[in-house]
Amino acid sequence: MSLLEITNLTARYASAAGDVLKGINVSVEEGEIVTLLGANGAGKSTTLRSISGLVPFTSGTITLNGQSLLGQGVEAIARLGVSHVPEGRRVFPGLTVTENIMLGASNRKGVSRAEMMREVDEKFDLVPDLIRLKDALGWTLSGGQLQMVAVARGLMAKPRVLLLDEPSLGLAPLIVQQVFKIVAEIRKRGTTVLLVEQNANVALSVADRGYVLETGRVLVSGKPKDLWNDPQVRAAYLGGHAIA
Amino acid sequence: MAIFLQLLFTGLGIGAIYALVALGFVLLIRAASVVNFAQGQFAMVGAYILVVGVNVLELPYLLSMAIAVVLMAVFGIVFAATTYWPLRHRGGLPVIISTIGASIFLENIVLFLYGPSPEVLPGLFDSPGIQIGEVFMDSQYLSILVAATLLVVLQYLIFEKTLLGKKLQATSQDKEMASLLGIPVAFMILFTFAYSAMLGGIAGMLVAPVLFVSVGMGGLIALKAFAANIIGGYGSIPGAILGGLSLGVAETLGASYISVPYKDAFAFAMLLMFLMVRPQGLFGEKISEKA
Ligand SMILES: Nc1ncnc2c1ncn2[C@@H]1O[C@H](COP(=O)(O)OP(=O)(O)O)[C@@H](O)[C@H]1O
Ligand SMILES: [Mg+2]
Repeated sequence: MSLLEITNLTARYASAAGDVLKGINVSVEEGEIVTLLGANGAGKSTTLRSISGLVPFTSGTITLNGQSLLGQGVEAIARLGVSHVPEGRRVFPGLTVTENIMLGASNRKGVSRAEMMREVDEKFDLVPDLIRLKDALGWTLSGGQLQMVAVARGLMAKPRVLLLDEPSLGLAPLIVQQVFKIVAEIRKRGTTVLLVEQNANVALSVADRGYVLETGRVLVSGKPKDLWNDPQVRAAYLGGHAIA
Repeated sequence: MAIFLQLLFTGLGIGAIYALVALGFVLLIRAASVVNFAQGQFAMVGAYILVVGVNVLELPYLLSMAIAVVLMAVFGIVFAATTYWPLRHRGGLPVIISTIGASIFLENIVLFLYGPSPEVLPGLFDSPGIQIGEVFMDSQYLSILVAATLLVVLQYLIFEKTLLGKKLQATSQDKEMASLLGIPVAFMILFTFAYSAMLGGIAGMLVAPVLFVSVGMGGLIALKAFAANIIGGYGSIPGAILGGLSLGVAETLGASYISVPYKDAFAFAMLLMFLMVRPQGLFGEKISEKA
């Protein structure tokens, strides 16, 4: 049994006709980084939103450690250990970096404030760039800084699985590298990650396995190398040349 | 100068009432994006509960107030459950209309239960007040100022120094994200309603001995509080406080130096002036905290 198992998932938005997800099968094993790739609008974010309960799914199943997430509220799913770092980072603009990160522990019961602050310090060890910004308000941060805060906050949940939606979006290549160094480090420390990316290059460089989505379906899946070498995939989504 | 100081004292007292109502108003805008047109009626309900405690049941004044504060918190939750909750996914306008409906309902239910004749409520203290230098400090105005100051400090401590406060702020800034973090958003919103009703109720209880307690008392207070909000900067917490105080001072000075019958007009003249010259208010959002 996989840690996270998605079978035949279909989902739709109330405001739009037709299914956005048309039967998705994805599994994530403990300790893996699995990436969902695909063009804009393929349904990557919707998949993550279904897992965290933001989009109620119409059919199929999602289980975490064998337990069904069907019909559970967003907050209940967070308490089960799903930590969703959504598109756009969503750092609270009027709270400081420390406060933002601290609130990441809100899904856990009975964590004392002292314990929380100790854990926030651990996150600063992971992302030293944030230390000097610890009292800065969210709205003053740059895109890369926001992404690091969002990831650090997501980790405060002590997640069974961390859902990361397009961490590279809108960031300069150098910053993307820094963010992905942290992602790799997170995995090394034992956190399971489901990573959504349009930037296949960087995503496949850290992932153990990947799935390519196309208009709500899984087109292909496999090891990074196999995905790179699939001519259909490369032509359509990975935009270029095979890695040597 | 003596008269000016005297008027300043009175103006700050009445301004503190506007500030308390405005604060409750702003908190709901921020936490739940609810523009609550029944905020003034919260003050009216609070005043009537105190009338029942003090005049009817003849309970001790402070005990009556304490009971009224608790009842107001409960009232706030019932108000949220009936007026806001069923409509929360329908956008801003249906909720606004619903709060307008609630304000009419509240006035009529009090009218039905209590009748139209205004009530007189004694002040918190028997002593009329104290003379400090050339200013006579009326005991009720003094109570208003002390209570309002304590409430503002309490609110600051809750919102800035406690984890609950941080969760309330997070909820007001991005509900969906708060919920992804496992923050119980529904609880945070209900808490804000309870707190906001409590603030409105306390304002009503404090101002009751200065005005008559009447079914219609909420309407004008709410309008002033709304004006305070625009003057201070829509949605701004320090703005609500400063806007309320400056409005109270402006209308008291205006009434005394210019014309008494036009007392209420000064508030709205000030509102119009701000809307024309500085629509973002004193503390206009330099930053979008609702990004
Ligand atoms: N809130 C929404 N309401 C209606 N349709 C939506 C909504 N969000 C996304 N969609 C649609 O669902 C499809 C998948 O979107 P999304 O999951 O965001 O794709 P991706 O993350 O892969 O770019 C798109 O066609 C998009 O237009
Ligand atoms: Mg997306």
